[in-house]
Amino acid sequence: MPAVGSPATVPRQAPPVPSAPPRHRPHRVRRRRDRTPLLLALPALVLLAGLLAYPLGRMVVLSFQDMQLRHLFSGSTPPWAGLDNYTEILTDGEFWAVVRRTAVFTVVSVAVSVVLGLAVALLMLRVSRAVRLAMVISMLFVWAIPQLVSAQIFKWMVDADFGIVNHVIDQIPGVDFANHSWFADPTQGWIVITTLVVWAGVPFLAITLHAGLTQVPRELLEAATVDGASGWQALRSITLPILKPLVVIVTTLSVIWNFGLFTQVWVVRDSKPEQDYQTLATYAFTQAFGRNNYSLGAAISVITVLLMLGVMAFYIRQMFRIGDVD
Amino acid sequence: MLTSHRGRTGTVLANTAGVVFAVVMAFPVYWVLNTAFKPASEVLSFEPKLWPERPTLDNFASAIKAPYFLVDLRNGLIITAFAVAGALVVGFLAALAIARFRFYGRRALIMVILAVQLVPFLSLLIPLYLMLNRANLTNSLVGVSITYLVLILPYTVWTLRGFIAAIPRELDEAALVDGCNRWQTFYRIILPLTGPGLVATSIYGFIQAWNEFIIINTLNNPEKQNLMAWLLQNQTNRGTAWGPLMAGAIITALPVVVFFLIIQRNIAAGLTAGAVKG
Repeated sequence: MPAVGSPATVPRQAPPVPSAPPRHRPHRVRRRRDRTPLLLALPALVLLAGLLAYPLGRMVVLSFQDMQLRHLFSGSTPPWAGLDNYTEILTDGEFWAVVRRTAVFTVVSVAVSVVLGLAVALLMLRVSRAVRLAMVISMLFVWAIPQLVSAQIFKWMVDADFGIVNHVIDQIPGVDFANHSWFADPTQGWIVITTLVVWAGVPFLAITLHAGLTQVPRELLEAATVDGASGWQALRSITLPILKPLVVIVTTLSVIWNFGLFTQVWVVRDSKPEQDYQTLATYAFTQAFGRNNYSLGAAISVITVLLMLGVMAFYIRQMFRIGDVD
Repeated sequence: MLTSHRGRTGTVLANTAGVVFAVVMAFPVYWVLNTAFKPASEVLSFEPKLWPERPTLDNFASAIKAPYFLVDLRNGLIITAFAVAGALVVGFLAALAIARFRFYGRRALIMVILAVQLVPFLSLLIPLYLMLNRANLTNSLVGVSITYLVLILPYTVWTLRGFIAAIPRELDEAALVDGCNRWQTFYRIILPLTGPGLVATSIYGFIQAWNEFIIINTLNNPEKQNLMAWLLQNQTNRGTAWGPLMAGAIITALPVVVFFLIIQRNIAAGLTAGAVKG
């Protein structure tokens, strides 16, 4: 990791003139044990420890207990349950169906979003200024809309009776889509949810990737063209390799976000998703707060975080490797 | 980029595709506006029209007059203001520590700050609920405010760190040489130069806190919700009153959309810091 490490420890080329001032001299030099940084970070550390680290630990503990509503009211310590919660979940076919559904949704929605985002980013390079501006403005509005609101908009557009989508499809000769319910069949319902997530996700991807594309050195592309490369070859051999770190980062982020899908399902299913619409996030929530089975919900959350851990570690490693994290 | 080597038809085709894409993306946004300005008879019509034939503000009036709208609007503003201000103060100090000092545990702190942004906050909701319940902070604005503060803190630290790191150290050193003590350096040199960064960061914090609704919906009763939770409640309560619902959605989303458009560049940069520079 060449970019990381304090400047003081990274060997630089010795300055030719001895009197040249050292660059980026850390404050540390003046006193060996400086408490200032810890003092500065202390309030943040206390808050993060109290409201993130502690709940995280509490969640793990809770997943080994059997907490019911009465413990919540009485404040008494729930009895230990050992691995019972985990056994119950991991042997439950319903849970595995949820995991599968969440995984399939994540793979499909991320693949579609990233490919579409990349295509739009490339398209933005080829259109005229005015068209590019129109694309950016339209995407910024989509990006800005809160998840809950965009989910409500989609719910309204696919409304069985008065939705615009049914009305438009109904215009096709020989197709009867009047009063068609999009959520009766889970496959169709998930198509709506995926469309919503992709629609909302493409602006971030396209705008970020377009920004990355404009950084690709023009000389390289010109040289390739002079050497007889076709547009496609230049794209594959020059543009995409340069863009790769950025693609990796945005894909990782999309995986993390989409794997945690909650809001969109929650809204389009009126805060009580049916079995076929449960994702890991809604499932844990429903177990805990719908059925007052806090320990089971906690165990599901623990498993969810464990499933995500690999992807998260990958993201952080990338940030350290690529970025000026130092 | 390579347009000089492509035919005119290619350009026309690309432009057409671009326009179609922009229109398709924008359509849902247009449709919510269209619906909100239609009278009920036009909203609940089997022949939906592309624009309101008799535009009206009735839906907005009905949304504002709905139960708890004004209360929840006020709650949302209070909670958000507290969370953003708190995160800004606490976050600035921590960012200063990370950007300007080398200390034991610094790298670990960076990792924690990056990692907690990825942990789905929702999964912490169960223990958080139990904690706040025991502290008698459920159904109160205080409990939610502190929770939101912590929710936006990692991003705040991370972004401010970037802004502070961009200020040349030579400026601090010059100030120290000229007789400033270290605290004076912080608030005379670094704080003013971080100004735009503080604005951008606080706006993003505002957006995050304003958009949250699950935590507050779980912790609090209807009279202690924010506008986003109110909107969800309204959807469930009202059945097919789509006009007022869409009007409520516009009112709720408006501040976020406006703020977002102002700071959009910073958000993208914060999430992918340095990735483009290779």
